[in-house]
Amino acid sequence: MSLVGWLFAAALALCALAAIGGLVWPRSWVAGAGTVAAGLAAATAGVASVVGSRWSAWLPDVLPLAGVRLSIDPLAGLFMAVTGGVSVCVAVYGIGYARTPGHRLDSRGVQAAVPLFVGAMVLVPAAASVSTLLLAWELMALTSLLLVLAEHRRRAEVGRAGLWYAVMTHLGFAAILAGLALFAAGAAGESFDQLRAAELPPGLRNAVFVVTLAGFTSKAGIVPLHVWLPRAHPEAPSHVSALMSAAMVNMGCYGIVRVGLDLLGGGPAWWWLVVLAAGALSALYGILQAVVTSDLKRLLAYSTTENMGLVLVGVGAAGFFAASRAPALAGLALTAALLHVVNHAGFKTLLFLAAGSVLRATGARDLDALGGLRARMPHTTVLFAIGALCASALPPGNAFVSEWLLLQSLIRVSPLSGVAGAVTMPLAVAVIALSAGLAVATFVKAFGVGFLARPRGVGAERATESPPSMLAGMGLAAVACLALAVVPALALPAVGSAAAVAFPQTPPGLVSGAVTLALAGVRGVLSPLLIAGSLVVALVAVLGTVRLLAARRARRVARLWDCGAGPMSARMEYTATSFAEPLQRVFDDVLAPETDVDVTPARESAYLVERVAFHARVPDRVERRLYAPLLAAVDGVGRSVRGLANGSVHRYLAYGFYALIGMLVVLAVLR
Amino acid sequence: MSEGLYVPLLDLGCGAFLLAGVLVLWRRDLMAIVGLFALQGMALAAVVVLLGVHQADAELIAVGVGVGVLRAGLLPYLMRRALAASGEGRETQPLVNVATSLLVAAALAMLAYAVAQPLIRLSPTPATQAVPVALTVLLVGFFVLVTRRRALSQVVGFLLIDNAITATAFLTTSGVPLVVELGVSLDVLLAALVLQVLTTRMRAAFGGTDLDELRELHD
Repeated sequence: MSLVGWLFAAALALCALAAIGGLVWPRSWVAGAGTVAAGLAAATAGVASVVGSRWSAWLPDVLPLAGVRLSIDPLAGLFMAVTGGVSVCVAVYGIGYARTPGHRLDSRGVQAAVPLFVGAMVLVPAAASVSTLLLAWELMALTSLLLVLAEHRRRAEVGRAGLWYAVMTHLGFAAILAGLALFAAGAAGESFDQLRAAELPPGLRNAVFVVTLAGFTSKAGIVPLHVWLPRAHPEAPSHVSALMSAAMVNMGCYGIVRVGLDLLGGGPAWWWLVVLAAGALSALYGILQAVVTSDLKRLLAYSTTENMGLVLVGVGAAGFFAASRAPALAGLALTAALLHVVNHAGFKTLLFLAAGSVLRATGARDLDALGGLRARMPHTTVLFAIGALCASALPPGNAFVSEWLLLQSLIRVSPLSGVAGAVTMPLAVAVIALSAGLAVATFVKAFGVGFLARPRGVGAERATESPPSMLAGMGLAAVACLALAVVPALALPAVGSAAAVAFPQTPPGLVSGAVTLALAGVRGVLSPLLIAGSLVVALVAVLGTVRLLAARRARRVARLWDCGAGPMSARMEYTATSFAEPLQRVFDDVLAPETDVDVTPARESAYLVERVAFHARVPDRVERRLYAPLLAAVDGVGRSVRGLANGSVHRYLAYGFYALIGMLVVLAVLR
Repeated sequence: MSEGLYVPLLDLGCGAFLLAGVLVLWRRDLMAIVGLFALQGMALAAVVVLLGVHQADAELIAVGVGVGVLRAGLLPYLMRRALAASGEGRETQPLVNVATSLLVAAALAMLAYAVAQPLIRLSPTPATQAVPVALTVLLVGFFVLVTRRRALSQVVGFLLIDNAITATAFLTTSGVPLVVELGVSLDVLLAALVLQVLTTRMRAAFGGTDLDELRELHD
């Protein structure tokens, strides 16, 4: 067994040990320490396999009928390393977070489920046969569902969110099961090697791809299958949200790359245009919902939909380029997409953990009730600021690098490659640009309204800084984000070799250079380190000049001009709702917000107003238009067939009798 | 045993089996229904013993005797006891009246005959040719379950189905392994006991065993 194999086995064993430890001795550091060690082992295994050592195993006796088939190649290693890294941050954070008074997160169930969830996520990319993949996938879904429901006793919404999540994830699982079973039936067997070698008729290939795509996109939170995400992420405990949003949703992208590009070996261009369109739609829709919502964790969940959409834009472009015989561009697009997976995992871990820190200190997720945390929670504020900078795709954030690479691959499309590419790619560029702009607004809102100015709520007034282990977990994630942002060359070789699994013909060294990234084949140079350095220098220069000029003038302390309306209160500040209002107005037709002004006049006069109430909410339009009618129809069918069951035993027996007689009659007539 | 004697005896046994099953639909006196069930058990046991004698298989003869003890002795005894404890003598107002029930039984017999043809064609021995009889009793038993109100009639319907399944098994195969038959018989005995307990409970709770009075229990 190679080093990768040992490390992988160690990671799984540590997860199991941590789960048992959490069950036997529910102290948060027991399961936490085990999960940290498991995460480290998994991350090291992933890195080692990306560097070049492969490992595979065939364990026929572990499971009846099918056995377990495992294999770790660089593509699997990349996702395993990301999962491991996220798990380390989350587990360190979870040691302190689980002790939050009143949340009861140090119960045996939660303590045992977190390591199991991590173990399942490590197992998913390592699976090398259909049955193993499905088993790991289901384990991942079940453990995450348990964790989503961790606080169901405290809030009723948790139960509803869990129901949505359970239904969506199992529908997705059923789709993947159906698609892969179809694939395995058409191929000679169910191991990935046999699937790769299979020669399927085109109709079957199309069916396999479309059905598995539906399943995997539901896990990745792609519109219109995203509805579980903005419900489950806010209601889950924050470290679980971080694990789900930064590690679990990636598995959807992994599945699409693995099945579409690796096992099916690419396909016709329309497959990938569908992927690209779904990704573009999710990117836009996700960030538009994020920019208008005022719930901090819901905002982050919608931002996950946006980022997964961007990843799918990259994957779709890569498949499209491969189908139109542009291997260099295909490799570049897939590298960008996978790099964005890594970057998104980094900043989304940080942001969800910071949101959990805020939630723990204030008890509020509503940005309109926050504010003024800069003075009360200085460390969390700085860490959230780093995350917000990274998430808003501005230099020197890490998302900037991957989105730049993605744009580079999209704008280099040759006009000779056909009408589809010439029309689609500029549109995709526009979508990415628009979503990047809206992301800036989103995170300026989240940070500015949530952390700066004065507290608007009682919870925010009484906030205190989080314990050291939570800060350490966030700090690790922040360091990873900054390292990825300034020296992306740390991750690029790994990402490149993972992309090479899907496109073996790609020329190596597409993106080279340690400090300055240079693209092979096309002209394009980016130096994140220099950008960051010059930004720091410029910032220091500006601040220094301002300080110098300000020091020359004499300072005069005076009361703020308040238009004579009396002292200004925190209620007069910009809120998240008011900040997003202009954007809501611009995108009115898309978002269809519901506002309701309720004026109560005084009893004597219609002109004297006693009370004005204003309600505004932006419902998820996809949910309203697509899911509500569907659910109503299912509900109606359920109600209408209720008459069939009136409680009479004889009637129930008669149904069976009629069915049997009917079947026998059919049999007697047909035979 | 000579073939000349075997076939008429087998047909006689199967005829008695069928007749007892159909007559359950005719009688409304619960005690008479139990008697008919015992008669059917005896016919079934006779058929099995006959098969055993024909194949010169001692184990099959032993199984046949066991079937007889259970289905003609023990189960009717249990049911009579339950009946004596309840004091309910008659099947009140079945959901389908007796004349119609008998006509339906005739239709079911024709259906069973039509359905069994492919099975008979597989191996046209005298035993297999009697399979439609067993299938008819199965359908009649199901029909009793659907149309009769008293809990005891329900138990008899259930046991008719089980008798029919046992008969089918013995007629189509040349003897079921002893272990399987023992397991099945034990299951039937347990089911009968459970149903008896349930009947007693029902009477204690509702003062009667008319199943349609349970309608209020649904959600």
